[in-house]
Amino acid sequence: MSGIGSALLNSLDIGLLLFIIAVGLNIVFGVLNIINFAHGALYMLGAYLAFTLINIVGMPFWAALLLAPLGVAILAVLIDRFLLRHIYSRDIADSLLLTFALLLIINESVRMIWGSGIQVVQPPQLLAGSMDIMGSSIPTYSLFVIVMGLALLAGLWFLFNRTRIGRIMRAAALDRDMAEVLCINTRLVVTGVFAFGAWLAAVGGVIAAPMRALDPGMGDKIIIESFIVVVIGGLGSFPGALLGAIILGLIHGVGGRYFPEVNMLLPFLGMALVLLFKPNGIMGKGAAA
Amino acid sequence: MMKTRAKKILVALSAAAAMGAVSTSYAEEPIRIGGIYILSGSAATYGEFAKKGINLAVDEINASGGILGRQVEMVYEDSQGKASVAIQAARKLVYSEDVDALVGLDSSGVAQGMVPTMPELQKPLIITHAATPDVTGKLCNAFTYRISVNVAQNMRAAALVAEKLDATNWTTIGPDYAFGHQSWEFFGNYLEELEPDVNLMSETNFPRFGAEDFTPFIDRVMDSDADGVLISVWGGDLVNFVRQANNRGFFEKDLELLFTVGGATEVLSALGDEMPESVHLSTRYWFDGYDNDINARFVKAYVDAYDGPPSYNAEGAYAAIYAYKKAMETVGTADGLAVAKALSGMSIEAPNGTVTFRKGDHQAMVGPNWGISGPMHPEYGIRTLTDLQIFNGEDVARSIEETGCKL
Repeated sequence: MSGIGSALLNSLDIGLLLFIIAVGLNIVFGVLNIINFAHGALYMLGAYLAFTLINIVGMPFWAALLLAPLGVAILAVLIDRFLLRHIYSRDIADSLLLTFALLLIINESVRMIWGSGIQVVQPPQLLAGSMDIMGSSIPTYSLFVIVMGLALLAGLWFLFNRTRIGRIMRAAALDRDMAEVLCINTRLVVTGVFAFGAWLAAVGGVIAAPMRALDPGMGDKIIIESFIVVVIGGLGSFPGALLGAIILGLIHGVGGRYFPEVNMLLPFLGMALVLLFKPNGIMGKGAAA
Repeated sequence: MMKTRAKKILVALSAAAAMGAVSTSYAEEPIRIGGIYILSGSAATYGEFAKKGINLAVDEINASGGILGRQVEMVYEDSQGKASVAIQAARKLVYSEDVDALVGLDSSGVAQGMVPTMPELQKPLIITHAATPDVTGKLCNAFTYRISVNVAQNMRAAALVAEKLDATNWTTIGPDYAFGHQSWEFFGNYLEELEPDVNLMSETNFPRFGAEDFTPFIDRVMDSDADGVLISVWGGDLVNFVRQANNRGFFEKDLELLFTVGGATEVLSALGDEMPESVHLSTRYWFDGYDNDINARFVKAYVDAYDGPPSYNAEGAYAAIYAYKKAMETVGTADGLAVAKALSGMSIEAPNGTVTFRKGDHQAMVGPNWGISGPMHPEYGIRTLTDLQIFNGEDVARSIEETGCKL
């Protein structure tokens, strides 16, 4: 395959991993109206839980993919019940402060539990190594990331557009009081959505674990990227998260390959342009968003 | 009458006793040393290693009577890898924690920011890791020393290694900040001196520090005419880089590869056998490279305490504490100015041999270690270094004029 072909595939695997993480951030914002600063920390927890299950307990990767996100979702339920619950009705700045505190707590806990060393997780046998696609060596795991990203994309679309739960979530996002009048248990919806967002972050973490080195700062790196995705695509918008993630994937993958001198600048330039001309993001709606 | 006199005597006695107690306790007041390292985030493992080395030195020194008969006590601050945070930390350590001396710094950027503020604090600083030539060059000052290898020394050695290789078209992949750029600049200049017809490609690669996915840059080098690559990516980034390069078949290409910090044990243990064989790896200290009693004792103590071989960062930090011991005992005080003066030109015996702080720029004359990655180590699960070359620190150092340092 030509250089551009493999650069595009590389962009796609960077972009779709970012999508899995950023879409969780966006769903939580859309329904709960909080910007979850700790989202990256939950991603990191997913990766470290996978590391424990695979490297220490000795489980197969697939079991970790199932269990680690579940564990993080349970933690998210506790966070919601004991902490976030008290600030939903307050100004958005309060939730920023609280989730920032959570990020610091989770970061330090990870460092205390797993240590500060660099850890790696091996991909499952099935996905190890590379495939030769038209003369270029493409890591099999990259293809898996792309398939997982597309599967989650399809699943989320189906959830929001074709299921009752999805409709309830959208209703709660649009008007929580009205939803309550219609006998929807919005407290349950809120908890469920927060846990679902955390689950998505952790799925991203488990998927990232075999391709990215684990260290106690990995959450901070991804949260900045996710914020860029969300600003470019549109805060709270589902298609926006996809568009923003693909754009950032292209900036890294194709930009890094062909314009390395300005590669560092491009994400921020993109963000600045979007803020100038479409302040709510490319897919963002009205000023209220 | 008698009673009052007795009372007075008692009061006087107890006052004297109290004063005696005060003066004794003053004499036994510990020597406090402040450590400023990255203790959180991605590179926290480097601060952790420094702490491990320091703990060994402090325990050994305290068990054998301390420094000037006083126990040694460490106080740590997290630099977070940011210059502004490190400057605050240094002020806090000196003004509120009353430390007598400072050790630390993991990042070139942090060192460039913090070193110019040292004269204001009037306390000595021994840098144990950060490698920018500037801090023992144009930014040098009376209070700043470095015990670890700097970029200029290591790149001089790298050029000597590269000179013997077949490659003629050289490029680089390095982090996009002082360390990556200065590594390439010094390497290029030295290699050109040795081999005037070498081609230093204008197509260079400087991915963001913490970039996570280096594939675009790996592809770019593979598609270029380069046959020699200087790789100064380090830490977790290097782990990501090597694994992604493996996926791309980078190591199967006929390239001469020089990893400027590739022999770091923390990177080698994370990678295991994913680090390919027969690439050139450098480190500032290879635990297996020095045949002397101090090194044997240090490595044994380290392995016993922490399971695994010491990293270069642990060794530098360990030696720095001993440097302070010798300097303070030479001048008989822990006074900042006096200790800073005593360090100049001083030599100590360290795990990596006799280390001398050169008078003109305060850079330790220590030699970089370059080797070729070989078979796996039977105990530690890391690649070994074969054909290890330990350069003479003096030979690879810049001349004082070249450093631009005026002391």
